[in-house]
Amino acid sequence: MNSTNSTSQDLINSDSSTELANNELPPKVAALSPTEWLKANLFSNTFNSILTVLSTAAILLIIRGLLSFIFNPLRQWSATATNMRLLMTQAYPEHQYVRVWVSLGFLLFLTGISLAFWRAGRRVQLSQVGKRLLILGAFIVLATLLAPFSNRATIIWLIVGILIVGIGLLLKPSHEDKTISSLTLLSGAFLLAILSLWVIPYGHHSYLSTRTPKILAESGTVAMTTKLPWTIMFLVAVCSYFLGSFVREKIDEAKSKALLSVTWLISPLFLLFLVLRDPDFDTRHLFSTDVPIFLFFSIVGSVLLLWLTKPDVGEKGRVISAAILFIGFATFLFQMLMIVRILTLVLAFFALAAPTFSGQKPARIRYTKVWIASMVILCWLITAINTPSTAKVPGDFFIGGFAITLMIFFFTMVLAFPLGVLLALARTSKFPIFRMISTTFIEFIRGVPLITILIFFSVMVPLFLPDGMDLTEIAAVTIAFIIFEAAYLAENVRGGLQSVTQGQHEAAEAVGMTNAQKTVFIVLPQALRVAIPPMVGQIIATFKETGLLAIIGIFDFLYIARSVIPGQTQFMGSTRENLLFVSLVYLVICFSMSKASQRVEKRVGLGER
Amino acid sequence: MQSSAEENSSTLKAVSQRVPLWRDVVVIKWVTQLGLLAVVVASLWFLAGQAGDNLQARNINTGFDFLERPPDIQLSEGIDTSPATGGRALWVGMVNTLRMAVVGIIFATFLGVVVGLARLSNNWLIKRLAGLWIETLRNVPLLVQMIFYFAVLTALPRVTLDSGPIHGWFHVSNKGISMPRVFISDGFYQWITVVAVGCIAAYFIRNQRGKKHDLTGEDTHAASWAFLTICTFAIIGIFVHPIFSFVGEIFAGLATLFENIPTTLVKILIASVLIFFASRWIRNFFASRRSATGHLSLIDDDIFRMVFVGTGALIAIIVVISWTGISSWILNSGRDLFQMLEAKFEVDGAARPFGAMKPDIVKPGKFANYGINGLTMSPGFAAVFFGVVFYTSAFVAEIIRGGILAVPKGQIEAGNAVGLSRSQSLRHIVLPQAIRIILPPMGNQYLNLTKNTSLAIAVGYSDIVQVGQTVYNQTGKSLPVMAIWMLFYLACSLTISVIVNYYNVRMKIVER
Repeated sequence: MNSTNSTSQDLINSDSSTELANNELPPKVAALSPTEWLKANLFSNTFNSILTVLSTAAILLIIRGLLSFIFNPLRQWSATATNMRLLMTQAYPEHQYVRVWVSLGFLLFLTGISLAFWRAGRRVQLSQVGKRLLILGAFIVLATLLAPFSNRATIIWLIVGILIVGIGLLLKPSHEDKTISSLTLLSGAFLLAILSLWVIPYGHHSYLSTRTPKILAESGTVAMTTKLPWTIMFLVAVCSYFLGSFVREKIDEAKSKALLSVTWLISPLFLLFLVLRDPDFDTRHLFSTDVPIFLFFSIVGSVLLLWLTKPDVGEKGRVISAAILFIGFATFLFQMLMIVRILTLVLAFFALAAPTFSGQKPARIRYTKVWIASMVILCWLITAINTPSTAKVPGDFFIGGFAITLMIFFFTMVLAFPLGVLLALARTSKFPIFRMISTTFIEFIRGVPLITILIFFSVMVPLFLPDGMDLTEIAAVTIAFIIFEAAYLAENVRGGLQSVTQGQHEAAEAVGMTNAQKTVFIVLPQALRVAIPPMVGQIIATFKETGLLAIIGIFDFLYIARSVIPGQTQFMGSTRENLLFVSLVYLVICFSMSKASQRVEKRVGLGER
Repeated sequence: MQSSAEENSSTLKAVSQRVPLWRDVVVIKWVTQLGLLAVVVASLWFLAGQAGDNLQARNINTGFDFLERPPDIQLSEGIDTSPATGGRALWVGMVNTLRMAVVGIIFATFLGVVVGLARLSNNWLIKRLAGLWIETLRNVPLLVQMIFYFAVLTALPRVTLDSGPIHGWFHVSNKGISMPRVFISDGFYQWITVVAVGCIAAYFIRNQRGKKHDLTGEDTHAASWAFLTICTFAIIGIFVHPIFSFVGEIFAGLATLFENIPTTLVKILIASVLIFFASRWIRNFFASRRSATGHLSLIDDDIFRMVFVGTGALIAIIVVISWTGISSWILNSGRDLFQMLEAKFEVDGAARPFGAMKPDIVKPGKFANYGINGLTMSPGFAAVFFGVVFYTSAFVAEIIRGGILAVPKGQIEAGNAVGLSRSQSLRHIVLPQAIRIILPPMGNQYLNLTKNTSLAIAVGYSDIVQVGQTVYNQTGKSLPVMAIWMLFYLACSLTISVIVNYYNVRMKIVER
């Protein structure tokens, strides 16, 4: 059953790559004249002609219906526009908003630099752009004629449509060699959108949150309050792109790419604290406990790991690692700071893995550096979590809406991936008990719907915790997401592991690699590469599944759109409008993710080797 | 000769020098595994103990007695809207889930095939429309879709007595979608017996025609003949079905038989079946591990597998023998089943097999609603139904398209070359190959659909999750209810994967 499952997922996700499989350029087909094209594609025979006529009628009816739904004066689009801030961040205090903008700016800065370093974007022929614009303009004109607009609106939209058609016609006959970067186009579109903020007042109120949500008819709209930040964000993104493309020629590209990737992985953690907390550090406690613990573990750990990674340590090293592991478990029997227990276990893990990464001096120093870096991150995180925040806000968790959707999605992906790889390795290992545990876990999780697991965690977790330990509902739900996604990712990775040929295993053994070295350096890199398409599919599925948070009553994007906004007295019965907006956001993100993954697939040359 | 002898002696020496225990690979392997197992078991034990303590501290009882107690639940729909016991309520929820899953699977498959074929059409407009359908529906979360459909349905005009009587076949309002109901009547079971006899006859006719086709090569239309036979029987059955009322007697006999079988016999039967399967598995396992020359080599992993199967069977046997409840439950449910069937056949000879009624509107209390005459989809049902069907159809369409595209073009061309028509080459060449590629992911989609029906909780359709949540909100028995959920869904998943695997095996190309 499982093998079929994994192949099936491969199949779903790889059908796009089959189209790209033959790389040779097709022979140039002579362009058909419009009448010929119509004949070939729409009216090739009687049946096709009937189909065409029927579906044209259906399309026109559907467009007409949709437009009269959207532009109906009864629709309360101002419900969505006014509550934009609520939808995005729920009750996040307005005077703290600058933190959100700073975080967003940092992420955009990273995006810009990464786009420059990875040389994203492709050249688009201007004539193609013209063609697209032509189609868009024609569609706008058609839609305007179908829509139940007032005369004035009809004229405005017609002019807009004809303008776009005009630009399209202007660009269409341009030469094949004239190209434009897709990034330029994208930023142009964003620029237009941001400029429109300065002109058009989207939404008529701004939302301020107190304990009882109410609308304040303030001067200034959502568009007005966000126009400046968005403009700055746009400038940050564009400038960082140029900075990136300027710098990338001057420094070692591979190293900075690695640095960028690590920054991408870690920065959300730090940004989250920037957004959520204004930590009130207890300096005395910090210097009497946290710093010494950190120093002790990083120094002792470094010395130990430097010694353990020597190639000739042999058995003594193993015995010592095992002893540390034993001590790590034993610490749970005594009264002790949780941080010490965690760090001891992490040290044991690093010590056990040391022989795998043993080698000459640079390799050993690199391994030690990784250890110190992870110590810094871990200690900082634990200290930050344990530090009370000075920013006081109503409610127990003061960020929600789309922000919490993204946050849970990020943590799920980052933590589910390693767990999934471990489960997949356990499931394919030669150790029967590992296999048994992992198979049971995976099949159980995959056999039940996500909502039951979520309800289980949100309701039952307090029951399973020892006294004094506490988990917020958000954390419990994130754990539920992690174990659920890990089971699915494990199946994807297992498909990749099975695709690694026996010869690779044997070759690794022939050069004297240990089992761990073989797995880390030979098998996993190949397996993960094969597993990219199904894993991207799973990531998109995870993003869609975050909507389930609404069912268990967490104030996520969907919950606010469905239950909170229609509950405001001004906006009763605005559920459909909000839901359409939510669908649009999900649609745009998921669609662009799947398109991007197809491009990445093409770029790493999957399905060709 | 001498060198080989030397080698021999050195290996002997190496063998005689035992590897120290801490360096023995097998020992390390098993110590690691048992260590991990110990950690897992210990943490589970700890958590379970903690849960027990916490439950006791909060005075929560985790027993299953709520299944027998009358709950205070009104379900929105199902076979029994005011169930007498908690167990009955959950049962109604299960039936609702299964009903949604089966209906959803049928419609999603149908719609998905249509969209998938449209995606491959050579009509540009149709192709684009199908692409739009797929990309839109699979990129919007199912839950958002469901809630949207629900919001649209509940915003429809209200149903009042003025809007009836309904003249058409369909009526749509905020109470749902009502359409004519085709229902099975008292005589249905006798009629279905006639059809069953027809099926047997059709099987023989098909075999006979098929044989004739093989012998003479002429087109004998075996499948059409079989279909016609069944149709004939079905039509004749409408008039003559009362002759099968004697079948009820047979079921009555079976019911008494089940009542009189001692539980010990059932126990022995189950135990022997278990022993049979376990021993057959072990025998086959030995056979698979034996080389062509008959040499048997077992590694520790193989021994573990055998021990695992043996222990599993042993535990199952012990449970069956020591827990009489299982055997008597099997006997009782068998008896109940046959008694129910017997009752189905005890009908007036003139009963019709089925009938049909148009929808109507009644006003039982304060508010008008659809009567039971029509088949009414409540807004909740409709939202879940359209949600899962549309969402799954997008995935099914992609699978169908991928499967058909995966058949090499040369196959169709070869079919054309030997003179097959387009439909013939589709039927005999493309479909048999495509179906092998299509089936496994389709099974996956069916599993997903079944699990996705659990989102019904968001729109208030009484599926098992929604009913379960109501039950534990009232009784506080969250742990047992969740156990029931998970077991139920695991059973569903297992059933679907067994069915799909069965077809997979049947469809597989027979290789050397």
